[in-house]
Amino acid sequence: MASQDQINPSSAPDEPETFLQQEGCYVALTTSPLNLQSVTDRVRSPQAGAIVLFAGTTRDNFAGQPVKQLEYTAYEPLALRTMMTIASSLRAKHDLRGLAMVHRLGVVPIGEESILIAVSAPHRQAAWRAGEEALEECKERVEVWKKEEFAHGGGVWRANRDGKRGQREGESREGGEGVGKGDGNGSSEGQGTEVDGQT
Amino acid sequence: MTPKPPKGHFNVLYFASAGSYTTKNVEALPAPLPLRKLFDTLEERYKGIRASVLNHSLVTINLAYVDVPDGEQQDGEAAEQEIIIQEGDEVAIIPPVSSG
Repeated sequence: MASQDQINPSSAPDEPETFLQQEGCYVALTTSPLNLQSVTDRVRSPQAGAIVLFAGTTRDNFAGQPVKQLEYTAYEPLALRTMMTIASSLRAKHDLRGLAMVHRLGVVPIGEESILIAVSAPHRQAAWRAGEEALEECKERVEVWKKEEFAHGGGVWRANRDGKRGQREGESREGGEGVGKGDGNGSSEGQGTEVDGQT
Repeated sequence: MTPKPPKGHFNVLYFASAGSYTTKNVEALPAPLPLRKLFDTLEERYKGIRASVLNHSLVTINLAYVDVPDGEQQDGEAAEQEIIIQEGDEVAIIPPVSSG
């Protein structure tokens, strides 16, 4: 990582957020509720003509099965690195002014934001495109896992897609929806990998 | 966050389905260990984990992804380049991700 990186591995207990920051890019993981205004302000720039903000929220069902709550866990240092790699490459590719990506961890109640992505650019087209690409790449690569707890008991670890990171060749399963949906909410894409707590 | 492994050991972190299968987030295993023996070692401890979890997971050592070779002994050039998990290393089992 570049020398201008900052990190706060020991964050205050009331604001448990770990982050990386570098050249217009900010990525963070937090167990606190996400704040749309603050992530927007992170990319605000006088050179920007547009800020695109994406909020992924947690849905109350998976394929019709009622979901009580979702819980996210992460390999935090690696997830932050991967998020920063995505952010800085998209910033260069789309000539962005800023890109901020914050993922919530721990239990996220239904209907709340699990991820926020804010992108600023001189013109809106680049901001729209970069925002969508940031989400898709995040869902494909960032080392965060989501467990759905069902209303009737039991839970399942979701997988966003098959055949990519986290899935070795020759083991692909049917039914993965893959990328391109773009709604990015808590329980839409992919399929379960393992059921636990069913006893 | 993660406790330092005892002398002569490395840590292996279990995420998501790997954690459910082992009922652990982390444990210390004896080092050094050739990477190609990692899955055999885990299978001995957690019967069935290879088919359920490991075969569709990736592996990192000290935050870098590595290719896990087959368990067979290698010869010549391949053996010289073999990755050995060292004392103090942090290994992680990375099942398919599901952020967002």
